[in-house]
Amino acid sequence: MSAFQPALSAVMRLRGVTACLVVDEHDGVIVDSTLQFGMRGNVLAALLASLFRKARQSVAAAGFGDSAFLTLEAERGRVCAVGQGGLVLIAVADPRTNLGLLRVELNKARAGLG
Amino acid sequence: MSDEIHRLSDELAHDPSSLAFLRLAELLRRSGDVAAAERVAQRGRARHPGLAAGHDLTARIAADRGDVAAAEDAWRTVLRLMPAHAGANKGLGFLAYRTGRLRDAEAHLAQAARGNPDDETIAVALATVRAELAAAAPAPPAVVVAPAAAVPAAVPAAGPAAIPAPATHVEAAGSPFADLSADADAILIVDRDGLVLTGTAPAGQSEREAELGAHLSGVSDEAERAMRHLELGAWATIVIEAPGASVALAPIGGLIGGDAVVLVAVPRTTPLGLVRRVLDRATQLARAWLEARA
Repeated sequence: MSAFQPALSAVMRLRGVTACLVVDEHDGVIVDSTLQFGMRGNVLAALLASLFRKARQSVAAAGFGDSAFLTLEAERGRVCAVGQGGLVLIAVADPRTNLGLLRVELNKARAGLG
Repeated sequence: MSDEIHRLSDELAHDPSSLAFLRLAELLRRSGDVAAAERVAQRGRARHPGLAAGHDLTARIAADRGDVAAAEDAWRTVLRLMPAHAGANKGLGFLAYRTGRLRDAEAHLAQAARGNPDDETIAVALATVRAELAAAAPAPPAVVVAPAAAVPAAVPAAGPAAIPAPATHVEAAGSPFADLSADADAILIVDRDGLVLTGTAPAGQSEREAELGAHLSGVSDEAERAMRHLELGAWATIVIEAPGASVALAPIGGLIGGDAVVLVAVPRTTPLGLVRRVLDRATQLARAWLEARA
């Protein structure tokens, strides 16, 4: 079991969370993940790491500092991502998920990223 | 990353013929210092004109700058040196897709997939292009599916711009967001090119707001790309919480809004729920403002 599994499991226990991944921010490569059956982990990792990187770099370039918590809401789901030490912890959830709880769990797990 | 940049710079200083320029320029490019990356790549290319990787690097840097012609030239040079180079075929495929040349895109991406069958991003892009060819859509694609690694991120996407007026035509007075100014540090309408259409300060008179719009508008392109492949539907809001502020984005949408987004920056201490409410209201006001100018 990797060092990230407890954090991934805690996030996955939340209702509506369908995927939770630790991803290398620069390459979009999965370090560890827990996914519901049928989720395409590699695609999720590559695209969402890229989105997080873009968001982090953009707010940094705008002078707001160099770390970020990203929340994206879409028609059929939600994505939250938080970074630390070159890694990104990403959660994908359906629209019913309690966003407040998800943020709390991800922020707790962030400390374990490195 | 900066340590490695330092180390590679030293290595190149001691041995200018070293191939360390490839890694150094790539790191500089990823760190956003495209000008320095270009200088390093140019010097390396001059010393190693027959090295395909050097031209591939030049192409990616040119694509970052939005110089489609230079990127194409450099990738075609790569293919002259190495006809099956997967990276060059991938890059040319994405450029062709962006400019609506679906047949060219399909040919290059198919060649790239043969050279790199494990690259899922190529497979996804190829499937997208083939689906569009099959659908025989009369109009060129509006957006791109390129992955970040090889993506000419700064290349303007093809597609119609539905924004009614460029930034320079916006009246200096009468911000549509006057009612919300107490809740936010900045509220802007930004077009697809990152130009501010209007905001809480008169358009064109606030360098800070122009900077904010330019830096943040690219996030929506990245979100669109991700949503298209993740089957989550269209994105509705993005909130980025940074140490210095929270920034929220929403597409204005519809025929009037086109690809424009509304961008709200609030102090970091603002509760997230309030950020969403301010963003919702700002989106309504932005839509009304654009409709009034259609």
